[in-house]
Amino acid sequence: MIRKEAIEILMEKISMDPIVSANGFISRDLFNVHDKKTNFYMIGSMGLASSIGLGIAIKKPKKKVFVFDGDGNILMNLGSLTTIGKLQPKNFIHIVLDNSIHESTGGQPTASDTIKIEKIAKSCNYKQVLKVNNKKDILKKLKSIKNNMGPIMIIVKIKKGGSAGNRISTSPNKIKEQFINNL
Amino acid sequence: MKESYQNEMFDYLDKMGIENFVGVPDSTLKKFIQQGINKKKIIIASREEEAIGIAAGMLLAKSPSLVFMQNAGFANSISTITSLIQLYKFPLIFLIGWRGYLKNDAPEHYKIGKIQPGLLKIINLDHKVIQNNNWKKICDWALEKTKKNKSCALVVPREFLD
Repeated sequence: MIRKEAIEILMEKISMDPIVSANGFISRDLFNVHDKKTNFYMIGSMGLASSIGLGIAIKKPKKKVFVFDGDGNILMNLGSLTTIGKLQPKNFIHIVLDNSIHESTGGQPTASDTIKIEKIAKSCNYKQVLKVNNKKDILKKLKSIKNNMGPIMIIVKIKKGGSAGNRISTSPNKIKEQFINNL
Repeated sequence: MKESYQNEMFDYLDKMGIENFVGVPDSTLKKFIQQGINKKKIIIASREEEAIGIAAGMLLAKSPSLVFMQNAGFANSISTITSLIQLYKFPLIFLIGWRGYLKNDAPEHYKIGKIQPGLLKIINLDHKVIQNNNWKKICDWALEKTKKNKSCALVVPREFLD
């Protein structure tokens, strides 16, 4: 399963919930697979997807808020996990697409091949930490998520590969405005 | 900035509709931050960029927000400010404690403190320096900016040594 396939599977179940997607190929794939107004596509500010998602989750406790993160992205902002763990947003679902490389910049290695992100998340008081590597398990785990069980992390192990999707054609200001108006 | 004014400034921004105060502690702003902690309205982040991200998320949920930090943390955050706050046009207020304002401040603050006004100017972030008697006027200026969907910075010089 490559990143784009994982996103296609995730979107079978998530459909209308708000999503913050990390910059780089993750946002580009989400845009090409399932563009919608409650997707906040990050273009820059690498590492901050989980922080932006946390801010939304705190202020909108009745909505399930998804973050589509990457291993490179999460490792760049590990402090965010401590804030999430401290604040305990019950509606926060943190998806980590983990291929152990910085694929958007040419496939350089990250530390996630040796460091266990799931252990870090558990230490940071995430209520549930799940790890999956196939379609059936992704769908099963997503189905098992009810409201008020977070913070939850689902690490999706993916293989490298697949071409970069088209760049996001919506302007940053429009991405923001349509998200606000449809949240 | 006098400590009593810092309490009043927090209360004023709170009253005027700022709902979230997210940041990293700074000694210049400690009374402002303490007033917010007392009122249970402060979120302390691990780094300034994280604070900016959280505040951006809150603004996406239509909840007016301010981030506070020291100028050293502001310098760390420049790429986030340009590629998130300014690129997407978030109406965020920055409250920045300015170390290195006094020439004899601690040595680590000297160089970055000296270029603080230049950094704000070069990234084109509108800002005003708060002195004791002008804080209310400057808060009103910042609140007006946010209504026009613009970000801005309020800079508080550290006028004492410890």
